[in-house]
Amino acid sequence: MAKNKSAATPHYELLYIIANKFSENELEPIVEKVAKLIEEGQGTTTHTEDWGKKKLAYPINGYTHGYYRLVEFDMEAANLARVERNLRMMPEVVRHMIVKKDLSRVTPIPRPAAAPKPELPVKAEKEVKEEKQKEKTNLKDLDEKLDKILETNDLL
Amino acid sequence: MENTINKNDKQCYFCVNNIKEIDYKDGHTLRRYVGSYMKIFSKKKTGTCAKHQRKLATAIKRARIMALMPFVNQPK
Repeated sequence: MAKNKSAATPHYELLYIIANKFSENELEPIVEKVAKLIEEGQGTTTHTEDWGKKKLAYPINGYTHGYYRLVEFDMEAANLARVERNLRMMPEVVRHMIVKKDLSRVTPIPRPAAAPKPELPVKAEKEVKEEKQKEKTNLKDLDEKLDKILETNDLL
Repeated sequence: MENTINKNDKQCYFCVNNIKEIDYKDGHTLRRYVGSYMKIFSKKKTGTCAKHQRKLATAIKRARIMALMPFVNQPK
């Protein structure tokens, strides 16, 4: 067990929330700062994700919204403590979480949202068709009514 | 109500779908294992196996820390 663990540098996943007091233009220096922390710990980033601005489930330090950023990196376990300490000292980062990730055991999340999506356009099309039919009938009715009015006008 | 768990269907969702590690960032599946007060359901109620129930609990707790999920909720 111990041999296996020391063989490869462990893989970590960092999710952090940037305070909402910054505008979206001001985020890049903060993101770079975090990337630098990982660099200083001799880590190599393998993947980054920008979740954008999200509503927090509960207010943290008075902020109701935050910018979520995800970073995946490989790093020696000894250097991780320093990264974590420095992250905690950054006032821009409201909250962060570093989780060890075993890539061989991770299965991609089956998104339940993907399944009902194809149904939606079909429903929409049906609705559109119904609407079109309604419009057609309305147009026919209108024509008839107009004809009647015109006829009455002729009589006058 | 697709997200509610059928009482007769007491099989571990994670075993059936061969999910070894439960991702705390996946709020959609985690939401199925908490009540309206955001309390974690017991494995008795959800049918999750003991191994995955432990992982599920830590995942939900992590999601709570990262404000992806509330600690408590007052249903309106």
